[in-house]
Amino acid sequence: MDLLQASAVSKRYGGIAALSGAEFHAAAGEVHALLGENGAGKSTFIQILAGAVRPDEGMINFDGAPFRAANPSAAQAAGISAVFQELSLIPDLTVEQNIWFRHEWRSPLRMIRRKALREKTLELFARYAFPAIAPDQEVRRLTLADRQVVEIAKALARDPKVLILDEATSSLAPRETEWLLGLATRFAGEGRLVIYISHRLQEVRQVAKRVTVFRNGQTVAAHDTASVSDDEIITEMLGRRMERLYPERRDTATAKLALKVRGLSAGSRLRDVDFDLREGEVLGVGGLQGHGQRELFQALFGIGKSRGSIELWGREMTARGPRQALTGRDGIALVPEDRRGQGLLLSKSVRENLTLAVIPRFSSGGILSARREKALVAEMMTFLRIKAKTPDQVAGTLSGGNQQKVVFGKMLLTEARVLLLFDPTRGVDVGTKGEIFTLMRDLAAKGYAILFYSSDQPELVHVADRVAVMQNGRMAAILEGAGISEDGILRAAMIEKH
Amino acid sequence: MTLFLARHRAILLAYLGMIVLLALTSFFSPGFLAGSHLRTLTVLAAFIGIVALGQTFVIIGGGIDLSLPWVLNCAAILMTLIAKGQDGPLLWVIPLLLVAGAFIGAINGIGIAVFGVPPIIMTLAVNVILQGGILVYTGGTPPATAPQLVQFLAVGRIGPIPVVAVIWLILAVAASFLLSKTAFGRQLYAVGTSAAVAEFSGVPIVRTSVLAYTLSGFTAALAGMLLTGYSAQAYLGMGDPYLFTSIAAVAIGGASILGGSGHYIGTIAGAFVLTILTGLLPALNLSNGALLIVYGVVILVTVSLASEAFSDLAAALRAVLRGGRATAGKEPS
Ligand SMILES: Nc1ncnc2c1ncn2[C@@H]1O[C@H](COP(=O)(O)OP(=O)(O)OP(=O)(O)O)[C@@H](O)[C@H]1O
Ligand SMILES: [Mg+2]
Repeated sequence: MDLLQASAVSKRYGGIAALSGAEFHAAAGEVHALLGENGAGKSTFIQILAGAVRPDEGMINFDGAPFRAANPSAAQAAGISAVFQELSLIPDLTVEQNIWFRHEWRSPLRMIRRKALREKTLELFARYAFPAIAPDQEVRRLTLADRQVVEIAKALARDPKVLILDEATSSLAPRETEWLLGLATRFAGEGRLVIYISHRLQEVRQVAKRVTVFRNGQTVAAHDTASVSDDEIITEMLGRRMERLYPERRDTATAKLALKVRGLSAGSRLRDVDFDLREGEVLGVGGLQGHGQRELFQALFGIGKSRGSIELWGREMTARGPRQALTGRDGIALVPEDRRGQGLLLSKSVRENLTLAVIPRFSSGGILSARREKALVAEMMTFLRIKAKTPDQVAGTLSGGNQQKVVFGKMLLTEARVLLLFDPTRGVDVGTKGEIFTLMRDLAAKGYAILFYSSDQPELVHVADRVAVMQNGRMAAILEGAGISEDGILRAAMIEKH
Repeated sequence: MTLFLARHRAILLAYLGMIVLLALTSFFSPGFLAGSHLRTLTVLAAFIGIVALGQTFVIIGGGIDLSLPWVLNCAAILMTLIAKGQDGPLLWVIPLLLVAGAFIGAINGIGIAVFGVPPIIMTLAVNVILQGGILVYTGGTPPATAPQLVQFLAVGRIGPIPVVAVIWLILAVAASFLLSKTAFGRQLYAVGTSAAVAEFSGVPIVRTSVLAYTLSGFTAALAGMLLTGYSAQAYLGMGDPYLFTSIAAVAIGGASILGGSGHYIGTIAGAFVLTILTGLLPALNLSNGALLIVYGVVILVTVSLASEAFSDLAAALRAVLRGGRATAGKEPS
């Protein structure tokens, strides 16, 4: 007996069909993966299950009875909790206040009972062996990865029968990813259901017993994971065969230095970093999460204060800031970590987002040329295959992966030849990932220099020419050639330095 | 244009509101739609519209300007004091005071964008300082009357058209152009939507904010001098009503008070709505105090109608009209 059955579920947004007749069946006790390319309708589907979106049509059966949740609270009360792709914590509240939001135990005077709150939180953390996070920390101070963990705690706090994870590992480090996969397996083992959305097939293989594949809002297949190959799944997702995910490694690095960094420090998180980035090179940045990678990227781009020397194409950068960095071909562009907080104007159009960093490219004397802007936008939307109905679609309504493409496109339009890519494939489907890696290699061949951080280790191993491993804000090692492996990165990241 | 309105439904609603109010007024006082009434209406709306021009830019950029009343008031009083009722000095006094207003605005902007003072505190402080300064300076002497020239600018006509309406029209075209067609406008919306994203995209945040406040100081000073012409004199406190109305006009015009959206075209409708309301209420024969209460409540209601709630209502209505059932719930954005 299936715990959850959905049939003929449809949802339109204006002229866009997010779902058209999707089917989904899942039984208790399994981890069930939901796969599909960017914009396939996965998030829309689980938002419907979780009561955040109303379907236009369709039947959902849950636990043997017809089910329709009017809002997320109703779905939670019925036993369905979701960790949505886009985080929804309240930055000014603490971790525990967020987890138990609107469920806080109140004393007769309606005061929140702090002690109970703390006890419950620690109990929950212990029960699922959560990574260490201080319950009284304000969420605004947490990293993206920690926020993700808190979201998971919040979903589990409702003790659901169905736990939905929408790309919950996309911003987690390998260690937390392992933890979450273990959690999912255990949760399902208790006779409950996990619906697991991810663009990482490796993870899916590791946890999911079954997979359902969506394409263009429809269900194209459902299998036992063990009975299909990755290639078959990818073909079902994309509707075409994909040759390869990782492009051929080509040594395009020249002797010319794009970046020469000496003694770069920022706050307590980035200490005395030296490295060179050469023209035509893709330099990976690895290490355990939170060891200064973010600070390194931001310091190079000029966010916040930093000390030390940065030479860009042989010239010392004295004034630092995004405006000093984004100076056309000889500049530096950053694809930032936090898509929604740093990358996108969610309420503005795809067009305005794409061209935000290159306004001078389509204006003369401060006056915009709509025609030139359109041309730039059309070019980039085709180039990255951004799936939007029109360039005027509001960016916040794109699927997660397409939002990421917009951020990427915005930086490509600047034509800066030093690219700082902080997790550029987060939430991006396999097909597009392949395109992004190929693009990175092509750009490198054209003389771009790329600094590349990924929370997905295999990407570093397969795409980077060298990998710089960070530990406690320092460069612990730089791996080259045969030395680059997941194992090697991990070892370099863990070695005690004296 | 149709695309513009589709994207700015709130603005369309503001104009609808304006038309409904006009219809109501002409029902209560027949003959209201006569040319002379419309002319007065336009002139009064122009004063609100001009003060609210700068406020529109500041609010779109994610700030707020509470220093308008005394920037306006200072310009008015200084003009009468310096020109002493003569037209001659106005040639340099008007430009000088416009620059001074812009300068005060720039100080606001620098305090906020460079030194990180919250907009409410910064502009409120500047407002109080200007108020104190002008009291010290005038020492209670009654300000002189307005020179003929500004009186002409405020109440004069070119044919059937009030001069101040022409000034307003020119400003409106300029403001709309700035917002829609220039790099500055584009960057202003970006800063107001998310300062962090704007920063990561290399938008000159400081310059953009300072410009918006500068513009606000400029239009406040201009409005102060025109108003002096209208009432034939400057007096202490003449700017006070314009704080509330400038913000209300922007909000009724469809801008989010949190920044990032709206347009001056909407503010124009907002200015008319407020002016018509002011004209409509006395017909109710209330005492002055009661009038203020009603005025305040009506503005409150209008502003909230112009925002969120109303677009939900409109969506529900459309659904009913289309024959579907009205789904009350909102989609999460
Ligand atoms: N509020 C909305 N308004 C308009 N279109 C929307 C809205 N929400 C989703 N869509 C569209 O519906 C389609 C499906 O989006 P959805 O977020 O479900 O995709 P997804 O499979 O989760 O993709 P991803 O892997 O990129 O997260 C997309 O084309 C998206 O642009
Ligand atoms: Mg999604």
